[in-house]
Amino acid sequence: MYSTKYVKPNSTTEALEAIKSLGDGKFLAGGMTLIPTLKQRLASPDGLVDLSGCKLDSIAEEGETLKIGAMARHVSVAESAVVKKVIPALAKLADGIGDRQVRNRGTIGGSVANNDPSACYPSAVLALKATIHTNNRSIAADDFFTGMFETALEDDEIIESISFSKPTKANYVKFPNPASRYAMVGVFVAQFGDEVRVAVTGAGEGGVFRHQEMESVLSSNFSADSLSSVNIDSDGLISDLHASAEYRANLIKEMTKRAVV
Amino acid sequence: MEIKDSYELPLPKERVWAALNDEEFLKKSIPWCEKLERRSETELAAEVKLKIGPMSTRFIGSITLSDIDPPNGYTITGSGKGGIAGAASGSARVKLVETKDTSSTTLSYEVSAQVKGKIAQLGSRLIQSTAKKLSKNFFGSFVQQLEDINKSK
Amino acid sequence: MNEVTKIDGIGSSVRRTEDKKFLTGKGKYTDDINRPGQVQAYFLRSDVAHAKIKKIDVKDAQSAPGVVGVFTGDDIAADKVGGPICGWVVPCRDGSATKEPPHPLLAQGKVRFVGDAIAVVLAETAEQAKSGAELIEVDYEELSPVVDFENAGEGAQIHDEVPNNCYFDWELGDEKATADALSSAKKIVKLRVRNNRLVPNAMEPRCALAEFDNLDDSYTLHTTSQNPHLTRLVLAAFMFAIPESKLRVIAPDVGGGFGSKIYVYIEEAVCVWASKKVGRPVKWTADRTQAFLTDCHGRDHVNDVQLGLDENNKIVGLRVDTVCNLGAYLSAFSVVVPTYLHGTLLSGQYDIPAIYTNVKGMATNTVNVDAYRGAGRPEATYLLERTMETAAREVGMDPAEFRRINFIPKGAFPYQTQVALQYDIGDYEPHLDKAMEMIDYSNFEKRRAEAAKRGMYRGIGISSYIEACGLAPSAVVGALGGRVGQWESASVRVNPTGTISVFTGSHSHGQGHATTFAQIVADKLGIPMENVEVVHGDTDKTPFGMGSYGSRSLASGGSAISKAVDKIINKSKKIAAHLLEASEDDIDFKDGKFVVGGTDKEKAFGEIALAAYVPHNYPLETLEPGLEENAFYDPTNFVYPSGTHIAEVEVDPATGVVQVVDWAACDDFGNLVNPMIVEGQVHGGIAQGIGQALLEDAHYDENGQLLTASYMDYCMPRADDLPSFKVGYTTTPSTVNDLGVKGCGEAGAIASPPALINAVIDALSPLGVTDMSMPATPQKVWKAIQDSQSVAAE
Ligand SMILES: Cc1cc2nc3c(=O)[nH]c(=O)nc-3n(C[C@H](O)[C@H](O)[C@H](O)COP(=O)(O)OP(=O)(O)OC[C@H]3O[C@@H](n4cnc5c(N)ncnc54)[C@H](O)[C@@H]3O)c2cc1C
Repeated sequence: MYSTKYVKPNSTTEALEAIKSLGDGKFLAGGMTLIPTLKQRLASPDGLVDLSGCKLDSIAEEGETLKIGAMARHVSVAESAVVKKVIPALAKLADGIGDRQVRNRGTIGGSVANNDPSACYPSAVLALKATIHTNNRSIAADDFFTGMFETALEDDEIIESISFSKPTKANYVKFPNPASRYAMVGVFVAQFGDEVRVAVTGAGEGGVFRHQEMESVLSSNFSADSLSSVNIDSDGLISDLHASAEYRANLIKEMTKRAVV
Repeated sequence: MEIKDSYELPLPKERVWAALNDEEFLKKSIPWCEKLERRSETELAAEVKLKIGPMSTRFIGSITLSDIDPPNGYTITGSGKGGIAGAASGSARVKLVETKDTSSTTLSYEVSAQVKGKIAQLGSRLIQSTAKKLSKNFFGSFVQQLEDINKSK
Repeated sequence: MNEVTKIDGIGSSVRRTEDKKFLTGKGKYTDDINRPGQVQAYFLRSDVAHAKIKKIDVKDAQSAPGVVGVFTGDDIAADKVGGPICGWVVPCRDGSATKEPPHPLLAQGKVRFVGDAIAVVLAETAEQAKSGAELIEVDYEELSPVVDFENAGEGAQIHDEVPNNCYFDWELGDEKATADALSSAKKIVKLRVRNNRLVPNAMEPRCALAEFDNLDDSYTLHTTSQNPHLTRLVLAAFMFAIPESKLRVIAPDVGGGFGSKIYVYIEEAVCVWASKKVGRPVKWTADRTQAFLTDCHGRDHVNDVQLGLDENNKIVGLRVDTVCNLGAYLSAFSVVVPTYLHGTLLSGQYDIPAIYTNVKGMATNTVNVDAYRGAGRPEATYLLERTMETAAREVGMDPAEFRRINFIPKGAFPYQTQVALQYDIGDYEPHLDKAMEMIDYSNFEKRRAEAAKRGMYRGIGISSYIEACGLAPSAVVGALGGRVGQWESASVRVNPTGTISVFTGSHSHGQGHATTFAQIVADKLGIPMENVEVVHGDTDKTPFGMGSYGSRSLASGGSAISKAVDKIINKSKKIAAHLLEASEDDIDFKDGKFVVGGTDKEKAFGEIALAAYVPHNYPLETLEPGLEENAFYDPTNFVYPSGTHIAEVEVDPATGVVQVVDWAACDDFGNLVNPMIVEGQVHGGIAQGIGQALLEDAHYDENGQLLTASYMDYCMPRADDLPSFKVGYTTTPSTVNDLGVKGCGEAGAIASPPALINAVIDALSPLGVTDMSMPATPQKVWKAIQDSQSVAAE
């Protein structure tokens, strides 16, 4: 790792000032993605602005939504009584991320800002019609994820919290990459009355995406069997050492079936 | 790893071919291109700052044109060294085929990419998707520029 | 026997005495050691697989902040330091010798794999050394990389000394007799299997700390080694041409090796060289990426097998043609692993009247391949047990019964195989029977039917393995091309109060020697185990020894200790006779006491020890004072552990996921000194075998880039990939050593892969699947199911 500056502000306002003064600075959340990258010298920011002092880690039910602070660690989401009560699928998702060490450090904001094509959270954000609140605006999930590792965030924009709509029913099923345990395919299915949203992660070359055909099939008949007729196109799906696009297409359908219970 | 795609352009082949050889066009098409300078008929010096997630690396290298068959196509190869990150190169075989009435042209490409060093060792899961994305960006913005010019005429 | 020995002696499951420090993070590894004034080394490595080096420009690096020195291959060549050597070579079929190209410490003129070291940068801190290395400019002329080892003969030549990229082309057995047997066979079973390439992944990456003392021109090297004495011998005698006494090698706590820390690596040697060059201690620690790129890998074979059967389904002949990948340079044991540790095992547990094997060892632009837990024997077992399974299926016999009728019968020992080895003793049906009982083999079809109701395919697979270990009779080793002896040494020092210090030539890097060896001594001397200390890993402290690998520590190292203790007892009897005023012949040693037969006159062991060191009343005319003995033990034969493992799996056809649902391992390791440690070794071995069969695969792309160079892509087995193992034993004590012990360290890794793959194939057999390569990843299994369905549909 190249040596770099480190600051730990006490509020998002201070954090924004700090990042501006740094030039090419980076926000540091749990560091589970950023720090290994720095250790490998694959990035050399002018400084790190640690968000852990900015009091962004609250978790609370707010009317029809569940609002989670960007700095909430995966372990806090997994163990939160509120999350378990309001959207248990989200707690289950957080509990299945990486390993214990990663869950103790990694944050929801870091995961969503990073938008790794194999990360779990983006699928929940998309399926649960979440809104991403930053220091200066609110962005709807459908507008937020713009491609592999790409989001609508501007440079130096901080995610402060994410509010998830309360579903009638939701479930997340992931097929982990056997080595990294990131999602090789992860499917988040959320039902809001008649509306069903299906978000797929781990599989799309452009990152997380919604599967319209499965959504409409499930909207008219919410059952695993109804998915049998759906054909998952392997075009645009990730192909790597572990799984071809065809295999991923199969997993998308299979994981969705398992998520529909 | 083979990546293929094609675009229809409402322009004659000669026009597309000219753009393929215009360094201003190329510079605007190469994603995150910071510098492009012609060294010879067939070689340009290039600097590209590539960002993938938290990784951000400057590649210094060249763009070379080979198998030149005016106005039917060429092979455009970009290769660069990213210091400690390793090295990357990508080669696109570009073909132009005109419709009978010469009013439009099909641009098709076939890309092969190679990475070396750390990017290969640590990022293998992303190589194919990234290569696809970069090719799409390159040809997508190339085609977009042509279309924009065409429209503004 | 008194109470204490009952608890501590041979056969009791004592907890490992060394674990407290490891479990509490207090182990002291090489990287934990620092010397005043040390500099850090960083190696600049090639990121191309095969290239000529046109130019190396180190100017900018030399003046970088903190940099103390930058050196290349030319600097080392100027000091005439040699490279690592191959410790064992074999003759080729055409009478020529194994081709041994030089392996320069830092590349000279050429790089031959991604990771090949080009230059070393020494700096005040590791980060500065790394930054310095970034400023080195290397100008390459790239050559076409050779990655596919099966066709390496047609590729660009990697070494001038190795035509057709073939290091050796070796054979064993009677080719004509085997051809005759196969041509007269009623049925020939043919199979082609591949043994996937593995990365050893010791938890502790390699590390070295070298210092030079200019007062007496001597070096001290702390290093991550499985055999510090061999490291010293190779470095001193072969690479630096200095007296061994001028080099002390210490391997402190070592966090796993699995074979990968046997050899002398170039980094250790460069650190030694550089410590004199810059006059400061030099330290180097590999990070995980370097471990993936530069630790010797394991396996990587392709085997073509032909097995001939007569009308009674008895085996009449076996031919195996093997091509194996040895990588860019010949590592220390790389040649013996696929030849004498592989070809000699091809008879397995079976009575095979004719065997022939040919092995070609190929050079490629990948890192060196050498011993990895099991070393040659897993490959032999895999091809044989996969073939046995296939043969049983093809002739329509139960795989267990097919094995049974072909086993070497109990009465046939000692049994001379057609591939050089003579098995001293064994009895194979009991462990097959016991393993079948442990897993409830007879009711398997019920379980299969029950699984089918749940939509799962359940399968069962057997592997009956044998291995030759406890390396080994030196005369045999020498006759087969080994350049070292394979005895082991021990020095047993009785301290004046009767406590014991054991100095062993074996090395412990996770095996628990401090416990097992202490148990042997405690048992033999009738003293509490706490009174026995085991010292290892320091060439200044321990007698010259050969280290630990090839499941040799107990059979060879333990036997040496046992022999040294026998000498202690003999001398003690003489002292006791004097003290008790009796004849030496009348002294019995029992339960820690020397007793005059038929009387109540006795002396405790402690009293004898004290008399030896305070010889006021002592037969000084006939006996030296003191009580310390050495023993060097050279076995007369290998030891031959054997056993049967049975795996049961369930395959989810929707995803291709294979779940290992049950496992029975019944092994014959001879006598067990510490059953709990043995069980731990069996568990660890099976875990690694399951890793090989289901998860692990080192993958180079066609350009020689290692794509699985981190845990993001290289999949290690985790606890939740494993079932709860059922472990059992049968016992035929080895006739080779006094302890009657065999080896258990590698058995699990040797036995398990074919059991698992056989089970997967059995599970999928209703779909018509007949083959599956390792690792059986979900994608591969799913694809096999898809393909079988599309075949069925046609
Ligand atoms: C071994 C391992 C296994 C893993 N497995 C999984 C898995 O199964 N599923 C999964 O989903 N993830 C997995 N992860 C990733 C993990 O969830 C990380 O927590 C996540 O990638 C990044 O979160 P972080 O808090 O660590 O962010 P950091 O690493 O600190 O930051 C990541 C990026 O986001 C930016 N950033 C961080 N916070 C904010 C913010 N509030 N506003 C704006 N930008 C911000 C940073 O600047 C940086 O660019 C795994 C990681 C590891 C190391």
